[in-house]
Amino acid sequence: MTAEIDIRNVSKSYGPLKVIENLSLSIPAHEFVVFLGPSGCGKSTLLRMIAGLEGIDDGEILINGERVDPLPPGKRGLAMVFQSYALYPHMTVRQNMAFGLENLATPAPVIAERIAAAARMLEIDHLLDRKPGQLSGGQRQRVAIGRAVVKEPKAFLFDEPLSNLDAALRARTRIEIAQLHQRLRATMIFVTHDQIEAMTLAERIVVMNNRRIEQIGPPMEIYDQPATRFVASFVGTPQMNFFDVRGATGSQIRLDGTLSLSTRVDPIDAGRAAALGIRCEAVRVTGEGQGDADGVIDVLERLGDRALAHVRLPGGQTVIANEIAQTKLRVGDRVGLGFDGAKAHLFDAAGVALPLRSAP
Amino acid sequence: MTARSAPSIKRRRTASANAPDWRNALFVAPYLFFFVTLLVFPLFWGIWLSFHKADIFTNGPFIGLGNYLRLFNDAVFLQSVGNTFYFVLLTVPTLALLGLFLALSLNSNSRLATILRGLFFSSSVLSVTIVTLIWRFVFIPQYGLLSAIYKLFGSEVPSFLTDPNLAMIAIAITTIWWCIGLPMMLFLAALQQIPADIYEAAALDNASRWRTLISITLPSIRRTFVLVVIIQIVMQFQLFGQAWLMTRGGPNNTTRAIVLHIYDLAFRRWDVGMGAAASEVLFVLILAAATIQFLTSRSAGDRS
Amino acid sequence: MSARSTPGAARRGFGDHIILVAVLALSIAMIAPALWVIGLSLKDNHEVMANPNSVFHPPYIIDNYVNILYGGGVLRWILNSLIVSVGLTFGTLLLSSLAGYGFARLDFPGRNILFIVVLFGLAVPEQAVIVARHQIFSLLKFHNTYHGIILPGLSNAFGVFLMTQYFRAIPKELDEAALIDNASRFKIFWKVLLPLTLPAQATLGIFTFLLSWNDYFWPLISATEKNMYTLTVGMASMQVNFAQSEGVGFLMAQAVFAGAPIFIVYLFFQKYIVTAVSGAAVR
Repeated sequence: MTAEIDIRNVSKSYGPLKVIENLSLSIPAHEFVVFLGPSGCGKSTLLRMIAGLEGIDDGEILINGERVDPLPPGKRGLAMVFQSYALYPHMTVRQNMAFGLENLATPAPVIAERIAAAARMLEIDHLLDRKPGQLSGGQRQRVAIGRAVVKEPKAFLFDEPLSNLDAALRARTRIEIAQLHQRLRATMIFVTHDQIEAMTLAERIVVMNNRRIEQIGPPMEIYDQPATRFVASFVGTPQMNFFDVRGATGSQIRLDGTLSLSTRVDPIDAGRAAALGIRCEAVRVTGEGQGDADGVIDVLERLGDRALAHVRLPGGQTVIANEIAQTKLRVGDRVGLGFDGAKAHLFDAAGVALPLRSAP
Repeated sequence: MTARSAPSIKRRRTASANAPDWRNALFVAPYLFFFVTLLVFPLFWGIWLSFHKADIFTNGPFIGLGNYLRLFNDAVFLQSVGNTFYFVLLTVPTLALLGLFLALSLNSNSRLATILRGLFFSSSVLSVTIVTLIWRFVFIPQYGLLSAIYKLFGSEVPSFLTDPNLAMIAIAITTIWWCIGLPMMLFLAALQQIPADIYEAAALDNASRWRTLISITLPSIRRTFVLVVIIQIVMQFQLFGQAWLMTRGGPNNTTRAIVLHIYDLAFRRWDVGMGAAASEVLFVLILAAATIQFLTSRSAGDRS
Repeated sequence: MSARSTPGAARRGFGDHIILVAVLALSIAMIAPALWVIGLSLKDNHEVMANPNSVFHPPYIIDNYVNILYGGGVLRWILNSLIVSVGLTFGTLLLSSLAGYGFARLDFPGRNILFIVVLFGLAVPEQAVIVARHQIFSLLKFHNTYHGIILPGLSNAFGVFLMTQYFRAIPKELDEAALIDNASRFKIFWKVLLPLTLPAQATLGIFTFLLSWNDYFWPLISATEKNMYTLTVGMASMQVNFAQSEGVGFLMAQAVFAGAPIFIVYLFFQKYIVTAVSGAAVR
């Protein structure tokens, strides 16, 4: 019952403002794809266009090869889980879950059976006769999911469903959604601004910024091979360290001061490099004078499983480096930094990543 | 992307659920039907009528401003306008200030305050006929309540309702008794909107009760005060029931209100054209008074 | 007075007492007329006419109230008022809810302009349209009928305004979830949103009922036959010839009898009525 979704050259404007421009995307059946991006990047708009809650001005949307964009939301065979759950407050959980099926003239026994099955799977069977107002946030979330599950839709659409939950609940529900996908193997589109959710749930991530798609790919590819500077900076905590490139000789890239790293960039492209990015796990804290640069520890963040050392270089820039949890470093220590140039990413003036030669 | 064989027409689509659709207008259509037939249409018909010499059965000849000219040459009509202004001047400031006083005094959670608030509002739910019935008897000489009270002090009560100088005042008192609930409630609502920490800050600044009232409380409810005044102006301009039932517009037309005049013209003398004209004059007066009040309060320093 | 923790408590004193006295005086002024009328209603007519001060002491009788049930048209008038008020309330709730939903949630050509026009309707006083309405109803032979008294009230824009505001406040996600659940617009209105507007319905319902029950001007000119009088009109007609006919006590009893139901409604629904009236005025 699951479907592939095809978005072709869709555009949308609000008056003179072009919100989505000539965007195309193909989602195969059974895939869990995440639309990831900051607020205002267009990810929710895109989701709502698929759902039919927003119209499109140009282009087509197809589900299983059939045009759905002229159809109203109710006729597209989709189900949506909203950020605020959008449960009908005056109906019981059971009535909430039955509502959609009743509108499709589904026979009562079928409805009852599907509700029972979904309630069992989501462990909400004891809540069926309660009203949403009597439920906790996490329970409401599961009812919202249950309401979608019973419809046996062609695809599930999730619009930032975890944003209203506290941290612990968010982590738990994340796992439940992942398990749901494994059970149902349905096509799922999940919208979020939280890159951890994207990394842990997605089979493919669509990274969006400013209403355009920056990169599409599996999580590790997004992480290890960011296509643009935006993707590199948006994914990964803490944020990647960035440096301005001062010059290049072959694959050797010169940064501020005396700092110079040997990277994997092709000498042909090296001339176009404008910025260099390196993650904190590729930066080591060494003794003073024993690394590629020296600095002073400004801030030391202890996270429990590791520590992050914010080291200020003479030029004023701060670099974040990974440290072990039990580090003896303290604020104010003068230290050195060792950079693993092989893990560095290079970007041209437009923010596009330069190709890197494969690791030895 | 491989091209699909089906021809795709790329034009503006309105499949969006929120797109404008004339069928949606069906929801507002029932109400609009009554709105147009019973409000808009009569409004314009009334204006049209006011330009004709009409009675109950026929719409006579078009006479342009004839009705209006007759109105403004009619001493009784002019007197009724004057009476109405007088009445508004008597009642509106009193209602506003008294309402404010009561709201300030009764703005507490104590049992007594709650009961008294309920008391002061209770008169507003009565109909004009009951209110006038009660107060006619309060004012009546010899048997009335006022008469009994005056006798306690050893004097005779003046006959309010038959004294040209006192009749309007009597009606004003009745109206104030009847209508005090609404201004009080509006002020109470506004007072409760003032955040508590402003008062705490004032206390820390060593402000006296009076100072707090003048400098903090009153400025915060300025908007509500204007609102109350405007509402009361609009309401009291429409004086009818009290004047009709208590004094029939007398004595000597001293309590003849504009609406009374309209009633007399249109539904007793059946001079429908004149009645319509008078009602349009009233409409304009109300609109003008409310607008003036609104504008003067705006220009007098709308700092907020 | 011992100093308490409330700020300013130490400065309480003279000013407070004056205020208290003033408020109590006003309270007495408020309640005295009503008490007096109730007293009058419990006295024999002749006794009161002979000696006005007899109000203040017994005996008190209920004969006047008994007589109400036998004579006069009071019961008929109450029935008329009831039919009219209930009819208008139902009609208003239905029309205003439908229109409120339409204006708040749906888009159609001219919606915004229409809404503003309706809002302007709030500014029109009754008198500006009443002469024309009377003529129209004469032509349609609607006078002295129930629908004749009820219909003008249906054009009141307050209900539409109130319901539109209320519908606007409901989160749009509910509509969207129902849309995805393949519900028609009407179904969304009837099954999803309308049940959530019960507080507004109660407020609007009570307000409309009260306004209709106490309406005087329109029933006065439209219901000219005695058996079609509403309560307000009927009671007013009694006032005219009080001196000759039934007498002071009886008249007062009628006033109490007429006022009591609404008063009881007030006591029970005080919260709603205050909300409704305040809300109406703030429009």
